Amino acid sequence: MKTLLAAVGVAVGLAVTPVAAQESGGTLVMVVQPEPPNLAPYLSTSGPIGQVASKVYEGLITVGPDFKIMPGLAKSWEVSDDGLTITFHLQEGVKWHDGEPFTSADVQYGIMDVLREIHPRGGSTLKVIESVDTPDDMTAVFHLAEPAPYLMVALNGYESPIVAKHLFEGGNPRENETANKPIGTGPFKFVEWKKGQYVRFDKNEDYWQDGKPYLDRIVVRFIADAATRTAAVESEEVQYGAFGAVPYFDVERLSQLPYIDVTTEGYGYIAPIMQVQFNTEVKPFDDPKVRQAIAYALDRQFVIDNIWFGFGKPATGPISSLFKPTGLYTDEVIDFTVDDRMEKAAALLDEAGYPVGSDGVRFTVTHDITPYGEEWSRLGEYVKQALGQLDIAVDLRYEDVATWLKRVYTDYDYQFSSNFLYGLPDPVLGVHRQFHSNQIRPGTVFVNGMKWSSPRTDELMDAATTETDPEKRAALYKEFQQLVVEASPIVFMHEMEFVTVYNDMVKNLESTGPLGVYTNFADVWMEQ
Amino acid sequence: MPNARLRYVARRIVQAIPILLAIIILNFCLLKLAPGDAVDVLAGEAGSATPEYMEQLRAKFGLDQPLPIQLANYVGRIAVGDFGYSFRHEMPVWDLIVDRLGPTMILMVTTIVLAVGLGILLGLLAAVNLNTWRDSLISVLALVSYATPLFWVGLMLIVVFSINLGWFPTSGMENVAAFNEGWDRVWDIAHHLVLPAITLSLFYLALYTRLMRASMLEQAGMDYVTTARAKGVTEGRITFKHVLRNALLPVVTMAGVQVSAMIGGSVIVETVFGWPGLGQLAFESLFARDLNLLLGIFFLSAVLVLVVNLLVDILYTFLDPRIELS
Repeated sequence: MKTLLAAVGVAVGLAVTPVAAQESGGTLVMVVQPEPPNLAPYLSTSGPIGQVASKVYEGLITVGPDFKIMPGLAKSWEVSDDGLTITFHLQEGVKWHDGEPFTSADVQYGIMDVLREIHPRGGSTLKVIESVDTPDDMTAVFHLAEPAPYLMVALNGYESPIVAKHLFEGGNPRENETANKPIGTGPFKFVEWKKGQYVRFDKNEDYWQDGKPYLDRIVVRFIADAATRTAAVESEEVQYGAFGAVPYFDVERLSQLPYIDVTTEGYGYIAPIMQVQFNTEVKPFDDPKVRQAIAYALDRQFVIDNIWFGFGKPATGPISSLFKPTGLYTDEVIDFTVDDRMEKAAALLDEAGYPVGSDGVRFTVTHDITPYGEEWSRLGEYVKQALGQLDIAVDLRYEDVATWLKRVYTDYDYQFSSNFLYGLPDPVLGVHRQFHSNQIRPGTVFVNGMKWSSPRTDELMDAATTETDPEKRAALYKEFQQLVVEASPIVFMHEMEFVTVYNDMVKNLESTGPLGVYTNFADVWMEQ
Repeated sequence: MPNARLRYVARRIVQAIPILLAIIILNFCLLKLAPGDAVDVLAGEAGSATPEYMEQLRAKFGLDQPLPIQLANYVGRIAVGDFGYSFRHEMPVWDLIVDRLGPTMILMVTTIVLAVGLGILLGLLAAVNLNTWRDSLISVLALVSYATPLFWVGLMLIVVFSINLGWFPTSGMENVAAFNEGWDRVWDIAHHLVLPAITLSLFYLALYTRLMRASMLEQAGMDYVTTARAKGVTEGRITFKHVLRNALLPVVTMAGVQVSAMIGGSVIVETVFGWPGLGQLAFESLFARDLNLLLGIFFLSAVLVLVVNLLVDILYTFLDPRIELS
């Protein structure tokens, strides 16, 4: 991470792209599901908002392959030796879509007054920034309260979009009218939004990267029905859809078509892990042995092959193996995928004091199905069946999203449930929220809903938050992963793979790196 | 007579006010019964939010107030024609609804005209050709289309006519990459309308066909028909002048009831064909707990029901002058 921080951005733009015969022109029709409620990425981190608004808003940096930090609105930066000051040098000649020049004042205002105040994650991610100085129009100096090895990567356009000071100043940023008519610095200008139908972006002729973007126009369509989305891709009315816009079971068939390509690249930034999580305060899951037994009982590969149509990779712990390049990942943890896992599970349950009763059942539990679609229902059925083999009776309960969230994260009125959480590009951002004791916050969703924590893991996370030496940091996270897997407040099932389906006339999607559909598409072009 | 009609309309409108109020209060209470609120959903979709952030949102949405006060605020606003603000969409509810009203009306009117018109015609044909192959064919078709799920019909039409034949677009209300103007746009929308309108009509068409057939047969057995026949009136005249008029009454009643149900019934068709109507908006806002928006749509549907019922009552007096408005 220190090397990332010390990296000084060079030249303008994404120099990694091999120079191909990019062609200018064309309208890219992409499908996003569901339709975003608004286009205010500074108000919400909701996926659909990010997929659409990222074409308009940009961040100081962007994230390249292997989580390399690359120039965005900042062309270069220096980090002081103590890690407490970051000086950003901004790109020259950048204009907002309304013609006003972009300056360091926008960076200062955007970070301090908008993102830190109203962005759902900004309050915690950017809290470490004490002030932003603007010695001149093209320089912004961040002063940090403590070293923050996770900060740089979070300054990308999806996570920390910079908004225009002159449009926000003096009003309530929550009620800014750019929420439905975004104005940014990006390669595409917002034209119109027909609610329920489409959002239209046209090429920004004044874009600061000469010659870009290549596309004339992007139209983002909204189609609620999955089968119809598939049909629209098949009939070439739509050329691009990410995040399972086409359901898994149609992917194989579509990929056979000569003009359709499929990829699971472009999701490294969010690193989602599918999990089964326990309420560790209620019986029988207050006993780590019972939780471990469940971790043994669930067959990860079976779930991937039969429920997620082969998309995914067995997970080992709270940190995704996608973090291998950063050194933060370890697989030296308890292996729950051994051959005699069912015997081990049964033995653990006996040990925990839950022998098979006279009715042939050890205990009865209720599993709350995650209301995110078919796969999750199938998973619930699988859990019922798999645990049935251990003589555990499972009742399934299915509710809608709002009810389920309240049950798990506000009322803690559940025994165990399925879930998936984004790991995000640094454990501080995506992993700590689920395991730190200060994250047991009733009413806050996607935090520590298991009500599990330990003083030692809290300590490890606190230390890793400010540790800038990559090796020491890796050692902290290694112990952390071992402890969490041993305690098993969560069964880490698999690292999820989302699928992007696109027409082969769309080129240069690889330039989007781990951010994938969340990038600004300045480099994407279409065969004419 | 016109005066009596006007007075009748005025009285019905006045009577509608307490009904509307009751509907608002009932809807409000019903919706509040569901656990979780808009802030839970927003935070859930965002994947993260601090408690302070969520508290701020609740305060902004007025969700931190006691329920009776929220209700009073809402009724007060509706009374002055303010439908409130959708915090999810960061837009006034009225703007959102008006945006969707057009597409819904296009789909609904086409469907009603198709379903009622063809339904009456087919029902009439079946009744006139009772127990012949025509009657059997129409009855079987009606039964099949009544029993087939809408979403399946929609998807099959897409598979056959969009993917295999390429005659019609799969979804949407217009070609979004083309941005047509004027007559080109009208033509484009009509082109997009064909499959969803057929899909949604099929179900209702079956209903009206069967209803019309039964109604015709019932009227045909009445004494006045026998009387007319005894007086030597021709069969054609009996059918069109006497039976048809009376047989239409139940069909009109049914159509009146269904116009309002159609906003809800079209959710499936709107979803399958990506049609930007109110049904889908209502569906989405229910799951998002976007109460202001949902109540706005319900209110509008309630008004629609009352208006259509009034129109049906007035239409009765034209069909059967013996019915009086009093």
